[in-house]
Amino acid sequence: MKLSNSVCLNRWFLKSAALCAVSFLAPGALLFAAPPDSVAKSSPLVEALKAELDRSMKVYGAQDPAAYFIGYALTDTQRATVSGSNGALLSSDEGRSRWLEVAVRTGSYELDNTHKIDGRQPPGGSPGTTVPIDDDPEVLRRAVWLQTDLQYRSAAEALIKIKTGKEVKVQTEEGATPDFSREKAQVFAGPWASYSLDRKPWEQKVRDYTSYFRKSPAVINSIVTFTAQAQNQMQVTSEGTQLQFGQVRYRLELFIQGKAADGMDINRYYNFDWVNPSDAPDDNAVLAASAQLRKEMEGLVASPLNDPTVGPALLTGRAAAVFFHEVFGHRAEGHRQKDVTEGQTFAKKVDEQIFPSFLTVVDDATQKKLGKEDLLGYYQFDDEGIAAQRVVLVEKGVLKNFEMSRSPLKDFPHSNGHGRRQMGAAPVSRQGNLLVESSKKLTDKELRAKLVELVKQQGKPYGLLIDDIAGGFTFTGRGQPQAFQVEPLVVYKVFADGRPDELVRGVDIVGTPLAALTKIVATGDTPEVFNGYCGAESGYVPVSAASPAILTSELEVQKKQSSTDRPPILPPPAHDIQKGGGQ
Amino acid sequence: MRALRQSVLCFAFAAASAAFAQGPADNDHTLQAMRDEMARAKSRLELQIPKLDKPVRPYYLEYRLLDMDIREISAEYGALVASTHTRNRLMNVGARVGDYKLDSSNFISEDGFRGFIGPSGTVGIDRDYDSLRQDLWIATDQAFKEAVETYSRKQAYLSSLARPSDIDDFSRIKPVQHIEPLVASDWTRRNWEQEARDASSAFRAFPRIYESRVTYYLVFTTEYLLTSEGTEIRANHSYAAIESGLSSLADDGMQVNHFYATYAPRPADLPGADAVRKALNVAGTELMAMRAAQPAPDYTGPVLFEPRASGALLAAVLTPSLSGARPPLAFQPVVEQLMSSLGGRSDWSGKVGSRVLPASVSLVDDPGAKDYQGGLLIGGYAIDEEGVPADKVAVVEDGKLKSLLMSRRPGPDFENSNGHGRSAFLSDARPVMSNLFFSSSEGVSKEDLKKKFLESCRAEKLQYCMVVRQMDNPSLSLLHQDDFSELLASFGGNAATDRLPLVVYKIYPADGHEEIVRGARISGFSPRMLRNIEGIGNDNFVFNYMQNETAGVAGTSLAAFGAAQNGLPASVVAPSLLFEEVEVRGARGEPKHLPLLPEPPMSASVKASL
Repeated sequence: MKLSNSVCLNRWFLKSAALCAVSFLAPGALLFAAPPDSVAKSSPLVEALKAELDRSMKVYGAQDPAAYFIGYALTDTQRATVSGSNGALLSSDEGRSRWLEVAVRTGSYELDNTHKIDGRQPPGGSPGTTVPIDDDPEVLRRAVWLQTDLQYRSAAEALIKIKTGKEVKVQTEEGATPDFSREKAQVFAGPWASYSLDRKPWEQKVRDYTSYFRKSPAVINSIVTFTAQAQNQMQVTSEGTQLQFGQVRYRLELFIQGKAADGMDINRYYNFDWVNPSDAPDDNAVLAASAQLRKEMEGLVASPLNDPTVGPALLTGRAAAVFFHEVFGHRAEGHRQKDVTEGQTFAKKVDEQIFPSFLTVVDDATQKKLGKEDLLGYYQFDDEGIAAQRVVLVEKGVLKNFEMSRSPLKDFPHSNGHGRRQMGAAPVSRQGNLLVESSKKLTDKELRAKLVELVKQQGKPYGLLIDDIAGGFTFTGRGQPQAFQVEPLVVYKVFADGRPDELVRGVDIVGTPLAALTKIVATGDTPEVFNGYCGAESGYVPVSAASPAILTSELEVQKKQSSTDRPPILPPPAHDIQKGGGQ
Repeated sequence: MRALRQSVLCFAFAAASAAFAQGPADNDHTLQAMRDEMARAKSRLELQIPKLDKPVRPYYLEYRLLDMDIREISAEYGALVASTHTRNRLMNVGARVGDYKLDSSNFISEDGFRGFIGPSGTVGIDRDYDSLRQDLWIATDQAFKEAVETYSRKQAYLSSLARPSDIDDFSRIKPVQHIEPLVASDWTRRNWEQEARDASSAFRAFPRIYESRVTYYLVFTTEYLLTSEGTEIRANHSYAAIESGLSSLADDGMQVNHFYATYAPRPADLPGADAVRKALNVAGTELMAMRAAQPAPDYTGPVLFEPRASGALLAAVLTPSLSGARPPLAFQPVVEQLMSSLGGRSDWSGKVGSRVLPASVSLVDDPGAKDYQGGLLIGGYAIDEEGVPADKVAVVEDGKLKSLLMSRRPGPDFENSNGHGRSAFLSDARPVMSNLFFSSSEGVSKEDLKKKFLESCRAEKLQYCMVVRQMDNPSLSLLHQDDFSELLASFGGNAATDRLPLVVYKIYPADGHEEIVRGARISGFSPRMLRNIEGIGNDNFVFNYMQNETAGVAGTSLAAFGAAQNGLPASVVAPSLLFEEVEVRGARGEPKHLPLLPEPPMSASVKASL
């Protein structure tokens, strides 16, 4: 059963890929990167966008206030979704759509209609519009024409308000930086990305995968969804940028729901992401993941609640990756150093030690894979038309850089290709592939031994082993405490006296980032990847985080908010031993 | 209570075996899964509530399932925008706690049980047994708990009232078993994508129409209903629509809108692309005429509704009046007041036997009617959403109110359902019209009616009078949320009585010439105005439309009309209507900016695809 109001199936506030639009390059496209002269062969749709751009720039550039920048993005999405639930096919659909976005900036690079006054974003105008999937340049131009006018009107109005508002506000140093960075135009035309797919085999697979879960009385509901998506984007701007690129992605998501006796809802989730059809997980791999989820669900519904505690904790690689994404990654997003309402945790800490010196953190959106795993945060150009880059954020524990969009900071005047957004939202600086590297590596066995040692040192009865984190949230605004909260899904107590580990539930990890990150004492030796969709101001974007396991000397957990409605009154129909009524 | 439950059980038993005899051949295990889970829930679902000596059990359970096979195709200017084919199944489980007299329904509470899965959702499309059992199991559990919680809140609220209503919450019916054979969706051999392209290309000739998307919406459904009273239904339905909303700006910046909509009982019955293109051309031409027209002046005087408009006028005015169900109790009195002011309460309630329409007029709602003088009707059905066979209801005879449309929710005037409990997409059933026939024994010819109209016009010494040719459907013609909000705001306190005409003409009695105007609004048109109609034509016309799902709560012109994606098909057959005095308010609203640039070039016909 899939519900309209069901909790989101993904981690990190993950949302269905349907709404996520981030530009990717087709595999291998780099090899065929077009030499400059082949750009002339760009698609007639790009030519239509350019024709309208030329016409618009002439007229809107001469208005008062003048448009100094116009950008058009056309995103073509082909997507197939096959979903199963509780042993039956839920839906199997395929569709294609095209979405047009128009960005108009009035004023100048220094001060334009996107300037925040008192931290408030001026109204952004239209999120865009659907346009025909048939290649008719005339019809496309018509949509561009109307959207440009709409966006110009709203940009002009916003600028007038900003200019008035600025007069009465004190100018801060951060606010004095330009609103839009000057960047070199990018020109590229890659091949059109597409997939061909027979949905039938997947229809049977999602039936089989979900009927497996029905065998467990602890699983109340299960949903398995396969998605194939080919997305192509065309961008043209008045600065001369002209891009055409695409990417195919496949995803399989497993999701099950259960309920503990005290009413607590328990969800387990796992996802596979891949780029080449040949890398699709086989039935054995899916079954192994399913068995793990099922085992965890059965354990969790019966497990005891844990009390709030502070003590040493070991986070396995995927959990550590999510931890870094939430606790550090969001705070290294450039625009958060600029806004006066933001906590600016790291704004003034460049060249200062913020982590133990054995840790280095990079955000490398150009990296396609880590080991055998595809990285979901890979792209070639960001949503502001800037080529993706490898950015060293923290080198040997010292803060070096931020993820930058075209909204510059005082000492970081340029984008490093991290301006990202979900279709319909304005881009801000976002994470791509957040990769944690370590020079103090221990084997799993050594890490565990070290955990027990710390527990004993601190005189605690047990430490925590956190194996999976659902995501969480972090306050970065100044109005709230600079705290984070992440929701661990699979937590074991590791006892000092050598008893077997005990699965527990009902806790959230809480803390403050500056303190939490310095408490890391060692890491594992193998990085693990987490792929997901991350939600923030500019919507949901695909990201990866990778990290080895981390051992921290101190982690605080608090009681988790929980539902109290009772578990189902009757047993699941397939597990009802009482005769009479049914079966 | 006890005796009743036993007899219900017997019914269910009989029904189960009767239906099973026809079942297995089509490999549809839906009803069997429903029967088995229902049996388990009926015999074993109970909650022990502290302070109550007996456990609480549901006295009524229902399983509803809607199997949908939908194609949606949209195009503009000859280019395809989207084309989807979706099959899915919606399930909704209803549970009632208490008894027929007083139960957990008909109560709006600000907060209640929030289950983690809920009593409704989409379920597997395989028509298999096991997955549906699993889904029904948890949904039944959630529906029951929700009912228990609502019931206790309702009882607490009722205990605070000095004089609670003595109207029952749920009426009894005779269970029905009606299992239709499964039918495969008939997608015919028509190329719908190409038709949508061809039809929409009509607007290439109208560069000043800014938006003109044309959408084909084709639906086949199989509906299932199983109740603890023994009702078992599997029935097939279909409908089809072509809809297009048009917008432009007049030179003074005022927005002008228009729409085109045609509906049919089956996709195969829809008009072909050429016919649609012609009709779109008419709508486009009308919109261009409105664009160039003068804004409507304020006016009070005779107004003639041509038959294309009078069906829509009656639909908007009568929808809230026709319902005989009691309105739900609301936890907060302010909610009840709000619903009342929005037209949620029937104007005809308590008026049975009184004259509500002219003495020559009868009003009949006939779900069994299929067509009227060759025009296909779309509002028909055999059994309603609550499993009650549809009755032909004579609502008004010789001008006097005889009956109201009833679902299983009793009202102040009538208790029993007459098979008009309808809903779209498994929402709560409420009494709404199907095929409504308005007829007069004294209808006159079109020509005579117009003569009479012009005479009243002259008698009042008016330079011109107003003719309404078509009423608006804001669900289709307003293409953006902000336009909608603007319209809603402009209603002020008159939401229940302001009506929205679309194509309005001034007619000059001196020489009979007509001038189209734009932006007219009819003010203060309540059901009471239908008591005295100056003249009624004999030019009956079929007006097919989609009823807005929420019309029961807000019976306004805004809420009366929906779109194919979320509406409930209905038909009104009505002639021209002449009213002696109608208040028409002139155009209002904020002007917008015209685009700074002229439109880009568009060739008259679609260029070959690239």
